[in-house]
Amino acid sequence: MSNPIVEKLNSALLSAEEKLKNSPSDADIEAVRIEFLGRKGLIPALSKDMKDLAPEHKPEAGKALNEAKNKLAELLEAAKGGSSEKSAGFIDVTLPGRKRKIGKSHPITKVINDCVAIFRRMGFIVAEGPEIDTVYNNFDALNTPDDHPSRDHQDTFYFSDGRLLRTQTSPVQIRTMEAQEPPVRIVAPGRCFRRDTPDATHSMNFHQIEGLYIDKDVSMADLKSILLAFAHELFGSSVGIRLRPHFFPFTEPSVECDFSCIMCEGKGCRICKNSGWLEIAGAGMVDPNVLKIVGYDPEIWSGYAFGMGIERIAMIRYRINDIRLLYENDVRFLKQF
Amino acid sequence: MKISYNWLSQYINISDRIEEVADRLTMAGIEVEAIHRLGNIPEGIVVGEILERNPHPDADKLSVCRVNSGSEELQIVCGAPNCDAGKKVPLATIGTVFVDPESGKEFPIKKCKLRGVESYGMLCSGKELGLDDDHSGLMELDANLEIGTPMDKVIKNDVMFELEITSNRPDWLSHLGIARDLVPLTGNELKFPEISLPEPNVQSEFSEGLVEIKDYDLCPRYTGRVIRNVKVKESPAWLKERLVSIGLRPINNIVDITNFVLMELGQPLHAFDMNLLSGKKIIVRRAENGEKIMTLDGDEHELKTDYLVIADAEKPVALAGVMGGEHSGVTEETVDVLLESAYFKASNVRHTSKALGISSDSSYRFERGVDWKMVETASDRATALILELAGGELATDLVDVKQSDPEIKTLKCRFAKIKGLIGADISNDEIVDIFKKLELNPSEIDNEKCVITVPSFRLDIEREADLAEEVARIHGLDKIPVIPVDAKSVAEFAKDAYFEQEKLMDELIALGFVECVNYTLTDKDSALKDSRFTESDLVQLENPISIDQAFLRPSLFSGMLQNVTHNISRQNTDLALFELGRVFCANEKLYPEERYECCIALTGRKNPERFSAELDEVCDFYDLKGMLESLFETRRVNDARFSAYEDGRFEKGVCAEITVDGKSIGAMGQVASKFTKGMRIKHPLYMAIINADPLLNRKTGKIFYQAISQFPSTSRDVAFVADKSLEHQQVLDFIGNSNLKNLEKVELFDIFEDEKTLGAGRKSMAYSLTFRNAERTLTDKEVNAAHEKLRSRLASELNVELR
Repeated sequence: MSNPIVEKLNSALLSAEEKLKNSPSDADIEAVRIEFLGRKGLIPALSKDMKDLAPEHKPEAGKALNEAKNKLAELLEAAKGGSSEKSAGFIDVTLPGRKRKIGKSHPITKVINDCVAIFRRMGFIVAEGPEIDTVYNNFDALNTPDDHPSRDHQDTFYFSDGRLLRTQTSPVQIRTMEAQEPPVRIVAPGRCFRRDTPDATHSMNFHQIEGLYIDKDVSMADLKSILLAFAHELFGSSVGIRLRPHFFPFTEPSVECDFSCIMCEGKGCRICKNSGWLEIAGAGMVDPNVLKIVGYDPEIWSGYAFGMGIERIAMIRYRINDIRLLYENDVRFLKQF
Repeated sequence: MKISYNWLSQYINISDRIEEVADRLTMAGIEVEAIHRLGNIPEGIVVGEILERNPHPDADKLSVCRVNSGSEELQIVCGAPNCDAGKKVPLATIGTVFVDPESGKEFPIKKCKLRGVESYGMLCSGKELGLDDDHSGLMELDANLEIGTPMDKVIKNDVMFELEITSNRPDWLSHLGIARDLVPLTGNELKFPEISLPEPNVQSEFSEGLVEIKDYDLCPRYTGRVIRNVKVKESPAWLKERLVSIGLRPINNIVDITNFVLMELGQPLHAFDMNLLSGKKIIVRRAENGEKIMTLDGDEHELKTDYLVIADAEKPVALAGVMGGEHSGVTEETVDVLLESAYFKASNVRHTSKALGISSDSSYRFERGVDWKMVETASDRATALILELAGGELATDLVDVKQSDPEIKTLKCRFAKIKGLIGADISNDEIVDIFKKLELNPSEIDNEKCVITVPSFRLDIEREADLAEEVARIHGLDKIPVIPVDAKSVAEFAKDAYFEQEKLMDELIALGFVECVNYTLTDKDSALKDSRFTESDLVQLENPISIDQAFLRPSLFSGMLQNVTHNISRQNTDLALFELGRVFCANEKLYPEERYECCIALTGRKNPERFSAELDEVCDFYDLKGMLESLFETRRVNDARFSAYEDGRFEKGVCAEITVDGKSIGAMGQVASKFTKGMRIKHPLYMAIINADPLLNRKTGKIFYQAISQFPSTSRDVAFVADKSLEHQQVLDFIGNSNLKNLEKVELFDIFEDEKTLGAGRKSMAYSLTFRNAERTLTDKEVNAAHEKLRSRLASELNVELR
């Protein structure tokens, strides 16, 4: 004997299949869903009829009901898939997205980080010292004569206890050497102060990076090579350097290091005052007096030191013509770097 | 220092290619800062004489002059203040063409009308002729010049170099000194001027006790020489030309000779009028307190006992080494001259010069150090020139008062040490040759070393390193080889002091903050904007440039406020800024002297590039707090807590204190309206000011992997009504302290107030609790038990009404 529920289900499935043929609209699909699966649809109605069914038909009908439900769901899903191929609606993909805010390093920090990265690659690590330092660390131990003009109250900021705002990062050399035995290989970026009246190229505070290498048999050739390598890393391998004799109390021999002008490539322009060279670093072989002061034997140890102005490098690199722009912190300026 | 090419060429043969000379000097350590070409005077400029000066009818600052050009009388309108009748000045006649040296542009002089008055030429300043930078008035010419003489005959072609002389080489402060250094560089010989003096006709009235030194510590040597019956007059053309070529103004033959010898040999000299010296003698002594002197520049100075003076029997007549007195110098009436050549202690000359604010060519050299032996040579040279150019007779020998000559320094020089320091392969012979040419007198030369006898003019040579500099300099720094870079690491990277700072900045940048850098020095009011500080907490400079920069910033607060103000005033309204910098404090109780602080500012729209409702979303307290929470998470600061706080920098009620490990590290909140009032800022400004040291020096322990649970989690919600003042943190702490087993996380998912349903001052809070066990699936029973335990404890202990 045939199972009435199973028969009804079979014909219902055929009817649903027929209705869902030929790309039905979303409304057609919904109508089919309601007709068969809706609260008052065929499937729920047939489920109710189960209780009146002969007991021997019940298992078969139950299974068929489940299969039919699944089949209908499949048919509806397939029909919907067909319709989504047409369009899920329109969005204007050219509207602006929700951007995350983009942070930026200050150009001074950028230059410091770049210099530090270059020197770290060459085996240096960074050392630090305080900005308020002693006359001993800033001048005495750096072999600066007692009556050297840089010690003047005209040029250096002092405190009533006799200490000062460091005028250079060089006191970090002293602090480092006094705290450890050689060899030493450090760079020290940091803020320094001079009693300069502010203008386009002067600022009462500015930044330097200092380098120091003390070991056995260190020579001027090592110094020259490291400065050249640094120039290449910072400005590209077309940049040349030249050393000129100079004088600093804490190095002997002392040199100034010029980089060939990156604007005109050495041909001569306004930036390099037609010389083709830009003065970048002061350097030299650490003065034997300095080594003695920190307790290193100059007969065994020798080394070089160099220092350069971060703002100057930043101004050359980014062609900034007024140092004060660096301290104004206009975001339109800061976001350029 | 200025030197003239023509003058320098008197002592050594040098290239006539100016750039080559300049380059050679620079590469030897004598930096050429500027090159001025003298005498490129255009044709048509002649010596003119102003005959008459009348005011311009229509312009206060202009004059109408009648000028004799030698061939005619011209009417010329002139704007210079010194176009007085009787003066001889350079006159550019019609047809003269000036060429701008920079642009190459031509400026022809034409007949023209100035404010309605016709002008037939131009009277010139030194600057217009390219001779100097003086544009304050017309260049005043020698009154004896013939009117109509072309100016290119008056000013010879020459080149003036401006040199930067480093403080260790005072021996370079003269033409001879520069020439001497060019000997090893050019290979040419030094031509020292020939000096011959007649036998003096010694007159005992002068030589007996002519010079007395009372303070040898400040003046170890003083020489005097008397020349009688000189004729003070104008110097000959060659001498004036020398002085003019380096920008000095000729005065009279005697004074000009002392200046000439100073610039030639580097030894400052002074000439006194013998008859104006009381007692006709010189006493070198410390000044008495309160003594006065009027110096040549017309200023009167009150003296102190730590200044050295040259005195006669009664009074000071010169400030030793600094400047002569007004009433003892050589004038046209002078007949007998006492010529001083001395050696003063450098530090004392510097002290006097600085204390009195007088600087001169003489003090400049004495304070750097002069050549002991040159004291005598310079006196001889000047005496010979005086006898030649001013006549007169030598009335004394050199009266040379000194205690003893300084010791002659000798120095051992090991060739290997020199080469090692330079890192170049230089032969011993070359080293010795360099020493010879620098007059360093090498002796006892063998394969390893030589002995140097340091000449009296080289004050800088004391150690082998100083000799290495000489060898490197003359051998050529360009010849030092470039070798493979030695990238040896001598310390572990963990000791790098910048690594954490760099990382912290990178993290802030990753969160979208733009870095600012502000000045350290500030004024008192700005410093005290941060209400944590009072005046006595501030670190103050002893010698500020101005009171606006007299204090060190105690915090980054006011600098950041200034940055926000600046940006807002320039319509940059959406800001996320930070600064990481050092701050300073004089009160140990607040913080020890110097530390790193981090200041963060946030204001404006969240999505300035979006539109409609999203465009109106503005950053609030929780945006900044969330960024800080993210920062702490990245920094692995897991125990940071925010608690309600009051602080003058922030609006009441919108401020939190931040603590780590129970210690306060800073505060955040909405900046108080008193600070934002003047800014024209549209949106609230939020800031956080945090001691950065705990963020930088945080010791994160080792990280070990923890197993990830493979079993599902189960959630339960708990909702309750509580007093409005109950804080989220209190609930979290309460739940945390309840020791619920398997509780993985607690999340707040709803919070609302509704007076009607909840009552006034009440709020509803709803939390979702997630339970999970690492080793098994939890049963409903045990989760329900934990859930129930918490609900009942909340009700009884936290006093909330469960929903």
